[in-house]
Amino acid sequence: MTAIIEARGLTKSFGRTPVIRGVDLNVEAGRIVGLIGPNGAGKTTLIKSILGLTSFDGELKVLGRDPRTQRDALMEEVCFIADVAVLPRWLKVSQAVDFVAGVHPRFDRQRALDFLAKTDIKRDSRVRQLSKGMVTQLHLALILAIDAKLLVLDEPTLGLDLLFRRSFYDNLLNDYFNKERTILVTTHQVEEIENILTDVLFIERGKIVLNSPMESLGERFTQLTPAAGNVDRARALKPFWEREIFGRVAMLFDGRDQAELASLGELRAPSVADLFVAMMQPVGTAQSPSKEAA
Amino acid sequence: MNNMIWLVRREVWENRSLWVAPLVIASVILITAAFGGIHIADGGRFSMGWKSDSGIEIEESARQNIRNSMATAPLEKKQMVYAITLSSFTAVLLFSMIIVLFFYLLDCLLAERKDRSILFWKSLPVSDAEVVLSKLLTAAVVTPLFVLVVSSVLQILFALVWSVRFSDSFLGEALMAWDGPTWLKLQASFLLVIVTATLWYLPLIAYLLVVSAWARRNAFLWAVLPPVAILTIELLILGSNRFGEYLAHRFIGVFVLLEKKIGSVHGSGMSSMRDVLEAVSAVFTSPETWLGVLAAAAMIFGAIRIRRYRDDS
Repeated sequence: MTAIIEARGLTKSFGRTPVIRGVDLNVEAGRIVGLIGPNGAGKTTLIKSILGLTSFDGELKVLGRDPRTQRDALMEEVCFIADVAVLPRWLKVSQAVDFVAGVHPRFDRQRALDFLAKTDIKRDSRVRQLSKGMVTQLHLALILAIDAKLLVLDEPTLGLDLLFRRSFYDNLLNDYFNKERTILVTTHQVEEIENILTDVLFIERGKIVLNSPMESLGERFTQLTPAAGNVDRARALKPFWEREIFGRVAMLFDGRDQAELASLGELRAPSVADLFVAMMQPVGTAQSPSKEAA
Repeated sequence: MNNMIWLVRREVWENRSLWVAPLVIASVILITAAFGGIHIADGGRFSMGWKSDSGIEIEESARQNIRNSMATAPLEKKQMVYAITLSSFTAVLLFSMIIVLFFYLLDCLLAERKDRSILFWKSLPVSDAEVVLSKLLTAAVVTPLFVLVVSSVLQILFALVWSVRFSDSFLGEALMAWDGPTWLKLQASFLLVIVTATLWYLPLIAYLLVVSAWARRNAFLWAVLPPVAILTIELLILGSNRFGEYLAHRFIGVFVLLEKKIGSVHGSGMSSMRDVLEAVSAVFTSPETWLGVLAAAAMIFGAIRIRRYRDDS
């Protein structure tokens, strides 16, 4: 398989503050990777490095190219939505389509128009006249019509309501994604995308703390709700996180034999959101609900 | 090349004042010429403004004198009056263009960062060099050429209005409504002077682009502050004004160079095409012009580099 993104010892500091501290990464073609981390963990900086929007140290190849020096060529095969509503407000819908069709060799105008026809967006509206959801739809229509190898989405649905978010990801999966394409997405709404991801990456304080295909998460991590008398025995098996809800304790184990745990209580495959919260909050701090699932 | 056309088109979409301003000014001039302005009533009333029932009364004998002196004026003089009238329109258009371009240049690389749309533009396979050069092209070539075309058309339409409105008044036979060769000569001269002036002002254009690429806000202040600071410091420490003199020279130098050659405009008759060409070539052969172009190239390179990595978010 070809590596779409390859990073070795990627680092980046703002002044003396390190933001990315030695990231190693391999993303292969045909994956949908969720990059998940708390605010300030370096998600956006990592993505900006991949997109050649910022300088960095270390090694990074995107589609075999260095984003620092070969950005212009890279952008023919990479597209991205960085944050919502960055389309210029003066731009007309028809102008947006014309412009991208004019400069992008891999843009399929008909595809974009077909997509727009399914929305309430009028061809002669300006972006400033559209609602936030419509701006995102317009942006998505432009991006989906580009035959790119890598699509990077940084908080693409921030501030949109549930209906828009749902249809955004549905469109992405149904109309866009295939084996040759790779999607890298960051979002705070982990629950909404975890069933479309093939891989998860957790990033914390500039380091990748988890890099795993979705299917092996269930093998590696187990959530146990011990039966009443088994709490101490379960604790002896060193859960890396525990939490008490309504008097019942939930524990997360990393790499424990599931048969062994099953004898202690109820087992469940943890959700990505649970895992995320657990990994960002080591044992002992679990009771303070200061951090939300990011 | 293809990208450049689309990028310039984008500038025209975004900055409508670039083409709306000259069109509005030209329309105002035409409408004024057609319906307002100078009224010469049958009784010889001569008035400025929209109403024709007020104004100065010109006596019959005075009218006769004016008519006679104008009718008998040599062709050269008539051509001069004709040329000066038409040039004044062009001058108004060019002056407004300079103001519009000044603010366009200050804003063009800042606005896309302010509204964060730069993240959209940068997601397309268009290089930073192409983007910056498209702004330069818009300011230095596309807009001046457009304004020149507007001015040419305005002059033709004005001639039409003039000949329809005033042909049977007492000025009609004295003043020229249309003079093809002179008109053509004017267009050629303006084209040459604009090309020359653009070359001369290239460093100024590039300076504004750098400021626009660099500033996070208040581009106007950032553009004005450094020269003012240098002026002040020089004045305080050295008590001299060399920098100010240099700036003044940079601002009007091209006209000093042109003036030397076309100074005869103020004398008798219009300067010939040969004079204009000579004047223009004086600018083109001046090493100062090319040093300026060199400085401009360096600053434009700087603006491209700044846009590449400027990160406000």
